[in-house]
Amino acid sequence: MEAIIKVENLHKYFHSLHVLKGISLEVSKGEIVSVIGPSGSGKSTLLRCLNHLEVADKGSISFEGQFIAKADASGKAVYKNNREVLAICSNLGMVFQNFNLFPHMSVLENIIEAPVMVKGKAKAEAVRIAEELLDKVGLLEKKDAYPNQLSGGQKQRVAIARALAMEPEIMLFDEPTSALDPELIGEVLQVIKKLADEKMTMIIVTHEMNFAREISDRIIFMDDGQVVVDGAPAAIFVNPDHPRIKTFLNKVL
Amino acid sequence: MENLWNISRFILEGATISVKIYAVTLLFSIPLGMLCAIGKLTPLKPLQWLLELYTWIFRGTPLLLQLFFSYYGLQILTGIELSKEMAAYITFVLNYAAYFTEIFRAGIQSIDKGQYEAAKALGMNYSQTMKRIVIPQAIKVILPPTGNEAVTLIKDTALVSAIALADILRNAKSVVSRTASVEGYFIAAILYLIMTFVIINIFKYIEKRFAYYN
Ligand SMILES: Nc1ncnc2c1ncn2[C@@H]1O[C@H](COP(=O)(O)OP(=O)(O)O)[C@@H](O)[C@H]1O
Ligand SMILES: [Mg+2]
Repeated sequence: MEAIIKVENLHKYFHSLHVLKGISLEVSKGEIVSVIGPSGSGKSTLLRCLNHLEVADKGSISFEGQFIAKADASGKAVYKNNREVLAICSNLGMVFQNFNLFPHMSVLENIIEAPVMVKGKAKAEAVRIAEELLDKVGLLEKKDAYPNQLSGGQKQRVAIARALAMEPEIMLFDEPTSALDPELIGEVLQVIKKLADEKMTMIIVTHEMNFAREISDRIIFMDDGQVVVDGAPAAIFVNPDHPRIKTFLNKVL
Repeated sequence: MENLWNISRFILEGATISVKIYAVTLLFSIPLGMLCAIGKLTPLKPLQWLLELYTWIFRGTPLLLQLFFSYYGLQILTGIELSKEMAAYITFVLNYAAYFTEIFRAGIQSIDKGQYEAAKALGMNYSQTMKRIVIPQAIKVILPPTGNEAVTLIKDTALVSAIALADILRNAKSVVSRTASVEGYFIAAILYLIMTFVIINIFKYIEKRFAYYN
């Protein structure tokens, strides 16, 4: 299968703190991969390296065969120029833990902003697509509301619609339900499930173990900046032969 | 004794220069402050240092001293002779732009990092992000302190009387010494109060326009 995202031997330092210690992974078209692991293990940093919110120090990252960053002879990650990186990364949609909606814009304006400004879409067309997406996440009647008038679950569903409006090839979710009250988690997971049914390629960092197990084709377990296990859900949840996974699952389940 | 009408007219004539200095200062110092604020936030170190020096000097010394310097000092030092009015414009614009630089910089920096990240993740470049996402939100933060400066500026215009520009204060003073009665002061006070009242309400109105979100 064709790899959408390919990461090779990725290293990231925050000053002297070695946060990613040689990560390699591939995600194929239509695949759903969940990333789990203890807090501080580097899950967010990995996701943020994929769409250039963090700059990796060593290794390679490529999207559909085009390198965003390519390791040179010494292993150092050499990035393409900013404009090219931005163009490639606009194929990756990102959903944040804290939603990061634009508070000064209505729900509809939040969604059409990038299609109009970045892709140069005609406004009427962008509005039509935005309304379709809002309908899909069940929030069409909120299109003229401002973010502060929405619940956390509604905000996150708008954030998902906003990312989808750029027609990304792959969606990255960084703990999309961690900031939500328990009773609001379900509505967001339901939207993600809908995307899974449509074969959207996704990488999901989550602490919702049951959800991860149910939805994922593969699960990546990270600990201390490394991929400890990368395999089918059963390999992790049914027969966790690795002691670090056992310890982690005992804590969260 | 001159009648009240003549006194008022004379002081009101002084209001021309006060209002001119007020308008020119706001008109030029706000855009200049915005540019300097953005300059301070770029990664260009020499530019940052230069702007740091600029804001330090203009916020760290009295406006009156700066006014004396550009009217008297500059001529002694360099031979450049500015008209009183020009010296006042330049000094006020540079001084207020220094304050606005700091206000705007703090306003821009108060915008959450997540806003930049969301914009970048959507493919927006730096200038799109500033123009569409950061500055519109920063304006809301900046409005109240900018309003305060706009009110302070009305009263600061009275400093130009110290370089013998015939503003409200100077004309009021000369009326008072000519008539040996205090009406002139009262009329000046009323003029300043009217102007501050107008400015305060203009800013209240603008702030209300930005109250649709929080
Ligand atoms: N901007 C940053 N500056 C310094 N350290 C950071 C920064 N972001 C993350 N870290 C550190 O990197 C490590 C991994 O963080 P993160 O990727 O957020 O982990 P996770 O998402 O798995 O909880 C943590 O020790 C965290 O404190
Ligand atoms: Mg995280």
